Amino acid sequence: MTLQTNVSFELKNSLSELPTLCEKLERIGAALRIPRRLLFEINLALDELFTNIISYGYADQSEHVIRVRFSSEDDMLTVVLEDDGIPFNPVERLPPDPPCSLEECKVGGLGIHLVKNLMDDVVYSRSGNKNVLTLKKTIEKN
Amino acid sequence: MEIIEEKRGPLSTFKLQGRLDSNTSQAFEKRIFDAMSDGTKNVVIDFKDLDYISSAGLRVILKATKALKREDGKIRLCAMQDYVKEVFEIAGFDSFLTIVPTLDDALKSM
Repeated sequence: MTLQTNVSFELKNSLSELPTLCEKLERIGAALRIPRRLLFEINLALDELFTNIISYGYADQSEHVIRVRFSSEDDMLTVVLEDDGIPFNPVERLPPDPPCSLEECKVGGLGIHLVKNLMDDVVYSRSGNKNVLTLKKTIEKN
Repeated sequence: MEIIEEKRGPLSTFKLQGRLDSNTSQAFEKRIFDAMSDGTKNVVIDFKDLDYISSAGLRVILKATKALKREDGKIRLCAMQDYVKEVFEIAGFDSFLTIVPTLDDALKSM
């Protein structure tokens, strides 16, 4: 039998919402029985994307809402991040080469590099006035 | 996040507790650079009680490492939880940073 679960929540475009993101994820993690390590990876991926959106996503100073939707079906977890910021596809940005020396190491694009490596799949689409980013990750129960 | 700092001559040890992210990384950056202005040349960062790190945290470590190297100083990271270490590995930071298992190992290698 297929077990399907859906949960969603909203965050405002402020760095002070990072602890809220963490709290929500703790609760969802417990409800969906997501292993700790995976919960850490999802938290990190969402933190990087959320921080990017609020740093570069808005041309005005107004309050905006960023929506996070979780759904799990069997062992596949899908997280959808939706914002009404300027069109921005983080996936098409070229990831930095893994730095091999301290001198060559640049931090630009590091967040997205982490997201791509931590998630199994990251897909961007523009829907109306919204950026929609869909992340997928297999839940490996241990 | 809490930062516990111990200073012995030119060596400063920072024990991090909690989460090193966009909200807390600036405070940590200030502590390291204040210590350097105060004569610190070598730094040990103890990650034993650090639960979380994001690219904002990596950025501070990178900046500090570059600054210490310019002064011919050393930096050692120790006692990381495996998922925190994974972040350093994905970022490729393990290629130029010395990450050791325990605080003792870090202090001995100074």
